[in-house]
Amino acid sequence: MDNFIAEGTQHTPNISMNASTGVISMSGQSYPENTFEFYQPVMAWLLDFFASTPQTDIEVNMEIIYFNSGSSKFFFDFFDIFDAEKNNYKITINWIYNPENTRALEAGEDFIEDFVNLSINLVTTK
Amino acid sequence: MTLSTPDKELLHEIETLKHDFNHTIDKLTKDIKRHSKIILRSDHRQQYEYDALQKRHQEVKDLNEEIEATQCEVVFTLGAIGEHRSKETGYHVKRVAQYTYLLAKYSGIAEEECELLKQASPLHDIGKVAIPDAILNKPGRLDADEFTVMKEHAQIGYEMLQYSQRPLLKTAAIVAHQHHEKYNGTGYPQGLEGKQIHIYGRITALADVFDALSCRRVYKASWKDEAIFAYLKQERGEHFDPKLIDIFFDHLDEFIAIRSQLEDTY
Repeated sequence: MDNFIAEGTQHTPNISMNASTGVISMSGQSYPENTFEFYQPVMAWLLDFFASTPQTDIEVNMEIIYFNSGSSKFFFDFFDIFDAEKNNYKITINWIYNPENTRALEAGEDFIEDFVNLSINLVTTK
Repeated sequence: MTLSTPDKELLHEIETLKHDFNHTIDKLTKDIKRHSKIILRSDHRQQYEYDALQKRHQEVKDLNEEIEATQCEVVFTLGAIGEHRSKETGYHVKRVAQYTYLLAKYSGIAEEECELLKQASPLHDIGKVAIPDAILNKPGRLDADEFTVMKEHAQIGYEMLQYSQRPLLKTAAIVAHQHHEKYNGTGYPQGLEGKQIHIYGRITALADVFDALSCRRVYKASWKDEAIFAYLKQERGEHFDPKLIDIFFDHLDEFIAIRSQLEDTY
């Protein structure tokens, strides 16, 4: 299946999802005008990806410096999909944040709290 | 007791419903809990970001004010250097600045441009830094050759400032170049006439002469007000733009007020 690549904009993050390596990355800020619409293809890709029964471990790197509530909702929904697949694959999620950005850290902690069975690491940027 | 097949099926169906129901309830509970968390965190982030934004905005504003104040002071100081060599006081450039602002304002020039002229006009005599002391500070009248040298300060000032792309210094270049032009075309260095002279030049010419006549200089005592006013009226349309002379007399009290506030102390 095709990889998914989206260049970041002022309101949206860089998104790169590689079907063959299983590496999924998002970096930048996320406050699109219509968050649901913006992330719909991302969700669709991920569902297709799992439906294609990939033969790979999965690594998710999230480095989001600022995001709106809609994006927050999306992240939860996004992680729900991994949560549902956690027994079928080795899934590692890295929530990457700048140590000075305590809001990003808090968000990461919220995900850990919510997804107790997912392997979510809090990783600081250098 | 053995259950009939339909009952078994019914029970099984109820069990499935119960399972689905519980699953849905769990999901709803999770979503509700998540939702309030999302909103709480989001509000927190927004507050933080907006506070940070406001703080940065204020910093930029402060910095801008600092830059403008510094620029203003540097220009005054620079102007005062030229004046100091000719034994003028620093107040001369400050008064000229205020007079040019008033004249510009009542000429209908936009506020921003008035402010620009106010800041630039103190540099009108900057070219005097290149005039020898013997001429600049000569007590008594200059002879023809000396006057020729003295007149060069307008061109020199222009040449010093003309290459700048900064609006302030561009304005100052015009002022330095044209503040000795006369409305009737007999001024220097270009002998421009009427509206050929930039409005900045016409304004500064009047501001500079009014101040020069009002104040004592090395080569002369200050003039009495009646004599100054008579002279300015006499030069209406000759040395000075008639409209500016009219503005000056229409708002005379304001010009006099500036003169008193920024009086030289000897």
